[in-house]
Amino acid sequence: MTLEIQKPRPIWKIMFSTHHTDVGLLYLITSLAALFMGGTLALAIRLELFLPGSQFVSDSMTFNRMFTVHGTTLIFLFILPFASAVGNYLVPIMVRYKDMAYPKLNAIAYWMIPPAFALIWLGFADFTWNAYAPYSVTRAPGPAADMWIFGLKLLGISSILGAINFIVTILKCKHPDLPLSKMPLLAWSYLTSSLIMLVAMPTFAAALLMLLTDRLGLSGFFNPSMGGDPIAYQHLFWFTFHPEVYVLVIPAIGFMYDIIPRFSRKPIFSHVSGIAAFVLLSIVGFASWAHHMYATGMSFTEKTVFMIGTLSAVPASAMHVFNFLATMWGGRIKFTTPMMWAVGGIALFFSAGAGGVVNSAMPLDFMTHDSYWVVGHFHLFVMGTIAFGSFGFLYYIFPYVTGRLYNEKLGKIHFVMSFIGTVMVFFTQHILGLYGMPRRIYDYPPIPEWIAMNQFITIGAMIIGIGMAIFLINIIYSSGKGKEANMDDPWNVGREKYYYPYQSKTPHH
Amino acid sequence: MLIFVISPINFSFALDDDPGKYLNRKAEIWNLFYRMMTVAFVIGSVVSGTLIWLVWRFRESNHKAKKTRYEEQGKW
Repeated sequence: MTLEIQKPRPIWKIMFSTHHTDVGLLYLITSLAALFMGGTLALAIRLELFLPGSQFVSDSMTFNRMFTVHGTTLIFLFILPFASAVGNYLVPIMVRYKDMAYPKLNAIAYWMIPPAFALIWLGFADFTWNAYAPYSVTRAPGPAADMWIFGLKLLGISSILGAINFIVTILKCKHPDLPLSKMPLLAWSYLTSSLIMLVAMPTFAAALLMLLTDRLGLSGFFNPSMGGDPIAYQHLFWFTFHPEVYVLVIPAIGFMYDIIPRFSRKPIFSHVSGIAAFVLLSIVGFASWAHHMYATGMSFTEKTVFMIGTLSAVPASAMHVFNFLATMWGGRIKFTTPMMWAVGGIALFFSAGAGGVVNSAMPLDFMTHDSYWVVGHFHLFVMGTIAFGSFGFLYYIFPYVTGRLYNEKLGKIHFVMSFIGTVMVFFTQHILGLYGMPRRIYDYPPIPEWIAMNQFITIGAMIIGIGMAIFLINIIYSSGKGKEANMDDPWNVGREKYYYPYQSKTPHH
Repeated sequence: MLIFVISPINFSFALDDDPGKYLNRKAEIWNLFYRMMTVAFVIGSVVSGTLIWLVWRFRESNHKAKKTRYEEQGKW
């Protein structure tokens, strides 16, 4: 099996290579496999909720297992590895270095993902992607829960190794003629998100160990019957995973910074404000974790502090949005598939952010807590912004990865179906939450409004699913039989040699 | 904007947990919420409208589209 047209190599040579583009390809294939596996579970969840009563899931635990693995797969095995794939392909090129700083460490970081993938899917745990105590300590059935904990442990180590590699590559291996202030914004996005990862992840790594020893009965950190505090787990979890939201979203914004100027035929409006906004986001990301926990009995003062901390992310996010709009202003925009995804991503980023402002206001948070509003808000971010940015960039990087062009018409159909489906599913979930439907339930009373909205959402999910099937056909077919790309200007935007240097893919070790 | 958002927080924050005060914290915080939503929806409408207009006006197929000055100077 070969995936490159200029230097065909057997797949096993790519698998055991440490060259950054080969490791990038492995990350890419793994993340796409996770996308389709996690997406299949999403469709199953939506089919179950099409009508009240049991459709094909007979008990709540099976349903809990389905959405636990769906969430874990799409966050940790699709979005993060996809960002790593792009970073591996492009960060060394952007800082003008021959490879990542530690190529072997890079390959090791990747090879921790397949066993983690297997542990998560073979275990099929049921305690949601949060694994909240005390349920995860006292009741969650093993070995599924323990396999999930070990899987996440591996993924955490992999993420930390990857983050160290990106930071060292950027700060220590950058070409001496390239000052940090001139470094492309996509590379800046990797620097800031890697720094967040490095600071945030060890906390959850510790929490996972504590959870495991609690489950084994060796300790009682989060077990109330042993004097432990389950709320402490929530603090440790969200101290890592609220910043993690920025680890996910910052590379997606970085992707847009590469796509939007290119197809607007203009340089980015303000390089400095892009850098400032990345740095600001990476700092304020640590000032808002407890907004997930307003309902746990925090004092009014604490809630106010975290409300202000959360709102302080708004100016930095707005800086990015205004930077994109100002770049497009006065341009001559070519609406290729990557550009459509990027613009759609900006529109949905703004909508998701507006919902976030509502969530951060503590009075309304009590009304929406644990309702479908939260599901809609979270998914509008991860699908509408992060996945849209990622899909756009996948199309953008496709000629560099394969040497061929994808089918433009199918790419646009994929975008239109995903955009319509995303609006149908996640906007409606906000309203469903305001109508009082709790999240994480597999059955619901036959309230006419709930039934109508659930059916509308399921139809939207099916539209996304069909779009994804078209996407799969497009990338598989185009990888082997697509038109050969002009590697200097794959989309005919009229500028010579702006695209990534194809020759950098030749392994030198 | 700052006056809009910060002043109700100051009222509510200054009260802390002391009983017997006159201000109704719940009313203050709801007031803050509605002010924030007013600001959010106004800005949201302006930004979304701008985005839609940008997409329509600056697409290359628009009859008013012309080469950017960066294209002409080869500086992008």
